[in-house]
Amino acid sequence: MARYILRRLGFMLLTMFLVSIAVFLISEVAPGDVARHILGQFATPEQVELLRDQMGLDEPLYVRYFDWLIGNDWRLRRLVGMPLKQVLIPGRADAEWYAIAPDGTMLQWKMKQEGLVEIRVTPDGERTEVLFDGWLVDENGEEYFWGVDTAGHVVLWKKGEAGREVGPASAGRAMIEASGVEYYPIRRGLLRGDPGISFRTNRPVGPTLARRLRNSLSLAGIAFVVIMPIALVLGVLAGLREGSPLDRTISLFSLITTSVPEFASGVFLILVFAFWLKVLPGAAVFPDDTAPLQNPKLLILPVLTLTLVEVGYVARMTRASMAEVMNAPYIRTAFLKGLPYWRIVFKHALRNALIAPITVIMLHVNWLVGGIVVVESVFGYPGLGMYLLDSALFKDINAIEAGAMVMVALAVGSQLVADIIYTFLNPRIRYT
Amino acid sequence: METEKKSRLRKFWESISIVLRSPTAAVGLAIVLFWVFVAIFAPLLAPHDPLAQDASAINQGPSPTYPLGTDNLGRDILSRLIYGSRVILILAPVSVLASVIVGTVLGLVGGYFGGIVDEIVMRILDAVMAFPTILLYLIIIAAIGPSPLNVVLAITFVGAPGIARLVRGLTLDIRTRDYIRAAEARGESALYIMFVEILPNARGPLIIDALLRVGYAIFAIGTLGFLGLGLPPPTPDWGGMISEARKYIWTNPLGVLWPALAIASLVVGLNLFADGLREETMRYQ
Repeated sequence: MARYILRRLGFMLLTMFLVSIAVFLISEVAPGDVARHILGQFATPEQVELLRDQMGLDEPLYVRYFDWLIGNDWRLRRLVGMPLKQVLIPGRADAEWYAIAPDGTMLQWKMKQEGLVEIRVTPDGERTEVLFDGWLVDENGEEYFWGVDTAGHVVLWKKGEAGREVGPASAGRAMIEASGVEYYPIRRGLLRGDPGISFRTNRPVGPTLARRLRNSLSLAGIAFVVIMPIALVLGVLAGLREGSPLDRTISLFSLITTSVPEFASGVFLILVFAFWLKVLPGAAVFPDDTAPLQNPKLLILPVLTLTLVEVGYVARMTRASMAEVMNAPYIRTAFLKGLPYWRIVFKHALRNALIAPITVIMLHVNWLVGGIVVVESVFGYPGLGMYLLDSALFKDINAIEAGAMVMVALAVGSQLVADIIYTFLNPRIRYT
Repeated sequence: METEKKSRLRKFWESISIVLRSPTAAVGLAIVLFWVFVAIFAPLLAPHDPLAQDASAINQGPSPTYPLGTDNLGRDILSRLIYGSRVILILAPVSVLASVIVGTVLGLVGGYFGGIVDEIVMRILDAVMAFPTILLYLIIIAAIGPSPLNVVLAITFVGAPGIARLVRGLTLDIRTRDYIRAAEARGESALYIMFVEILPNARGPLIIDALLRVGYAIFAIGTLGFLGLGLPPPTPDWGGMISEARKYIWTNPLGVLWPALAIASLVVGLNLFADGLREETMRYQ
């Protein structure tokens, strides 16, 4: 069993690896340029070129992939000549990159009116700025310096050269700093816990993704708790007497609710409960970063939409399984022995009948994820699905990759859990 | 010749009457036929041009000129619904057909040759199936842009692995039959055996599966349209109409109701029909 789980975990990692390469390749051939997208259509080609350089988009594909996967700070430290470290200064929102001098002082550099300025932060947080004079000389006699700027790039500055003339920056980013000659964005890499910066929001992907994932998981978790009892009870009731009017009604009801796409049933629910009855809010927009659980009223309609679509599916699975078990010879034997009806149902039939639906439900997570993306979109719910949809439409590769990894891990991981549960429910199965 | 034709016709009617014995299947078939009728005679049924904008009637409720009201650009919702049925009823079968072709070829090849070929094909399909469907749609469409061809491509890519598995399973079973061995002894080529000997014998389950998949395809096309990944505007696309009208739900609530009803009825109809068909053929066997 342990070997089986290890092998499956290996398969999951392999799938994630292949998916990450596939996403990189697909977004590479995709038309459209994210730098142009950020700057808007009135940006000059020079500005777009500079932003591409600053985002590292001018690197070859394989360099970008490995930077994304394992980071590049270990490579870039050779340029700067000092170790690079990401430090969270108290009072700042995001961690910043600093070069660490031998005496422990953290250094950043910034081009100002009077020239290149060195920002020194001592380990106890004291901040001083001095005019920089440590220029190096290359073979052509030009003075140059590789340093770390305040926005997480390793930058090549040349003395007397203010970088490229790019003109005023347009909408999108407040300002493009253009003092350096070459830029490399510093990254720690996904494997070391850093999914990078979102191109769309210019903020680290990690915290946003975690918040969105939490929102989506709360939605899915509540929906799961609502769906399962209803679906199992309906399915068992229908399967107990195959062909009875109750069975026909439940089967028809579940076929219809499952067939209606989430966006259509969501719209029906909004119209009925929010527009005509005016009892529930029609959108799940959170005023600030409060957890969805603190606003339960906003969750009712999204959960109801998911329930409508999913209950039917699970109920049909349960019904089929229950009907099969009720026709099995050992149930007939139990009846012929004269056992009471409910005892047969609960002690003999149910346990065998629930094996199939429980595994099917876990395999159904893929489908549920899709439903959640649509439901989030219908209600404006700030979850993982909306994040992924927005990122995909923006070609925000770091956010797409991170979201895709989470989704694949969820999908493959839930299949593994399903298989493990299956072995416990059905002792006849042994994995090796 | 004549008798053969007659018996075929009779067989067809027999199978239809089997299906119609189930009331739910009959209702489903009626709904589907209604939409097929609407799609075929769209130019005759639509009161207006689906793309014509009327600046004096924006986001209006039902009126004598516009029976179902107008959308945010003053276009007639009824006409857009009618023409939208054409779009979806062409795209869905085409994408199912494409995934059946791709899936059948992969399944036949994997199941008939077996060994390393089978192993490679199945591992790739497993990896594709491990992908959340919606993520595949998102990435494919976001990468290559929304267009009818890309919608078909995306649905084919997502649907083909399931069909390939089904066909492979059937092929593994059929391969062991005597008539396949006879064909191999005759020295028939692998292509001939796969497509002339195996495929016709795998047709029954394949057709039922394909029918169920048309419902899924409509579901998927609607979802893509709703997420803004479907057909580029101004094509009348039910999913797209819903996502547009959703923004104006407080001024014109009925505008979002009609396309939602349309797509819901079509998918429900198809699934009722396919489900009834499956049940009746199972009883028949």
